Amino acid sequence: MIHAIKRGFIVVLGLLVLLSLPGFLWRPQQRSEVRSHYQTLMAPVFLVPGSSATQNRFNALVKELNRETPATHSLLRVEVKTTGQLVYTGRIQPGDTRPFIVVGFQNHHDGAQNILKQAKWFALAFNALQKTYKFNHFSAMGHSNGGLVLTLFLENSLDQSAVRANRLMTIATPFNLEEDDAAVDTPLFKTLEAGRQRLPRQLVVYSIAGSKTFTGDGIVPFDSVNRGKYLFQDQVKGFTQITVTGANANHADLPENQQIVALIRQDLLS
Amino acid sequence: MQITTSRLGTALIALEVNCQRNRQVAAIRQALRLIFPIILLGSLADFVDQAWLQRTGYFYQTLHVANWVFQLRVMRQYLRLISAGTLGLAAILMAFAVSFYLVAPVTRQTSNRLMAGMTAVISLKFFNVSRPSVLALRPIKWASANLGLQGILMGILIGLLVGNSYRWLLVHHETTGLTGPFLLMSGWLLGTTALGLLWVTTQTVSLNAAFVSAIQWPFRLPHFILGLLGYSGLTSLYAWLGVLEPITPSGQTVATAQNLEAVLNHAGWQLPHPVTLHTVVDVYANFGGTGMLLGLVLAILLVHGHTRHHAVAWLSLVPTLGNFGAPIMVGLPVMLSPLLGIPFLLAPLVCISVSWLCLRLAWVPAVAYPLLTGTPGPFLAFLGTGGNWSALVLGLVNLALSTAIYYPFVKWHVQAQAQIAGEVADDDPRN
Repeated sequence: MIHAIKRGFIVVLGLLVLLSLPGFLWRPQQRSEVRSHYQTLMAPVFLVPGSSATQNRFNALVKELNRETPATHSLLRVEVKTTGQLVYTGRIQPGDTRPFIVVGFQNHHDGAQNILKQAKWFALAFNALQKTYKFNHFSAMGHSNGGLVLTLFLENSLDQSAVRANRLMTIATPFNLEEDDAAVDTPLFKTLEAGRQRLPRQLVVYSIAGSKTFTGDGIVPFDSVNRGKYLFQDQVKGFTQITVTGANANHADLPENQQIVALIRQDLLS
Repeated sequence: MQITTSRLGTALIALEVNCQRNRQVAAIRQALRLIFPIILLGSLADFVDQAWLQRTGYFYQTLHVANWVFQLRVMRQYLRLISAGTLGLAAILMAFAVSFYLVAPVTRQTSNRLMAGMTAVISLKFFNVSRPSVLALRPIKWASANLGLQGILMGILIGLLVGNSYRWLLVHHETTGLTGPFLLMSGWLLGTTALGLLWVTTQTVSLNAAFVSAIQWPFRLPHFILGLLGYSGLTSLYAWLGVLEPITPSGQTVATAQNLEAVLNHAGWQLPHPVTLHTVVDVYANFGGTGMLLGLVLAILLVHGHTRHHAVAWLSLVPTLGNFGAPIMVGLPVMLSPLLGIPFLLAPLVCISVSWLCLRLAWVPAVAYPLLTGTPGPFLAFLGTGGNWSALVLGLVNLALSTAIYYPFVKWHVQAQAQIAGEVADDDPRN
């Protein structure tokens, strides 16, 4: 009897060893497995201003976003010179896992050729920052042409094996530039459309349109913002379009619009 | 030494016997044993789902389940449904069974017993109803969260309340015919409905949700030894009382994330936070679930005697090896047993102290890699440290320690069961 019970004890110990075997065999792969699903604590939020605006464009917005949140987030501003040189102002506080990083360009002029150049410059700044801060996921917000810069960057320059894009919010981004005629495709839109399959699959995109008149926000035609669906729909994990009207709904005021600030809090920072 | 031990043992056996002869405890124990098969099935489903079919599962990772299993998604849906229907309704089952068993000795009529059980279930549901649906006069929606393993204690309390009052009424009033049971049942339901409505209008959450958040407040995230022991003691106490699911949020803490970051981005194994709840309690004091239940299973298999103990141990073996402790808690039951409660509280505390010492003296490195669900207990530290042998040895030492702590208590428990069953406790010749 006692012998039989001791046998049960030994059977369980044997089972323990048996169940541990797959773990022993798997252990050499463990490090790479852990690394592949590893997400850094830091996930910065990139902010890219539109044409004619500098890296100081979002100072007021960041101040606004930092109000009423338990932890304030630091603000780092980067200006990319036409030579590719990076000029930093502000700093990321140690321990801040969600810093805002504003990337502005010395050449911040409008026009398709400039926007393509700005996307390259953004990639330059992004890679330098990624090397410094070693984050492996991030979110981004672009106002006006800044959204085009980010979309071009995501399509062409993001190393998706190293860095994961979580969320993208574009505010009044003219995917078809200032083209009023819905039947005309600008060359930049065609470029964006051609590269849409390279967009990160797990990305969640929000496109916000301001509506001052029934056709647009005073500068960007509504139809041009609406073109975003041809790029993101069925390419990314989620695509949401939002139209904001009321006070401060004209193009330049949109980043400080209270509804949009609330949307940024809710959809980009949460 | 021999005499004091056996005197202590005799005293504890007497305590256990008296406790089990108590009418309330007896009813609860009967109810727990009744729902044991249901809890076992649910735990098995949970174990397979979490350890085999989810990305964070031990077998999923090590056996590359994703490459060969067929219809993974459908299987997960199926298993989760099983788990929801068994573990997810544990509180309701307990309310019914406790009330039923309390009334059973005083009435011959099955209908009275069943009615007592049903009344308890309905009463429990009155306190777990969607508040907006009641207040806005919309169709009533029942709240079903927190009726699972966390809510067992609540189910027991409602069962005791209903069962005892039913019992009192049955003893003091004649309840033959149709009107008697009707008056009894309707009186109870009218009363609890009023109480339930009072609860809903004054409170924003269901009774069970309120209970869970009320017992959560003592938990902080401690990084010092007293905090670790206090945390473990409180968790064990709650589990012993019938909160069988950990109630603290099990997300990744900042310290855990920083540990992992340090290991992945720097050479060597230098951790910023070597002693945390995660690196001590989760890794070294949780074999078989809260209370080192794997040690209990091994101790049972070493003790000769009562067959029910062995049957429960063998049946619960698979979930216990994957650190799912609910079946053995309910099956023996360990819950509300004073004799088994002592090692249940003690074994994790000893393991925590030993492991804390080893970590502090840097005899073993702290774990940094994420732990996989369903990893055999003593093997957790080995994988968590990326294959450190001294961590594996410490895990085995802890298993041996907990088995040794459980062993005498299991022996006494077997003797206590024998006394209750009216058998003559045959003395072990070696004593």
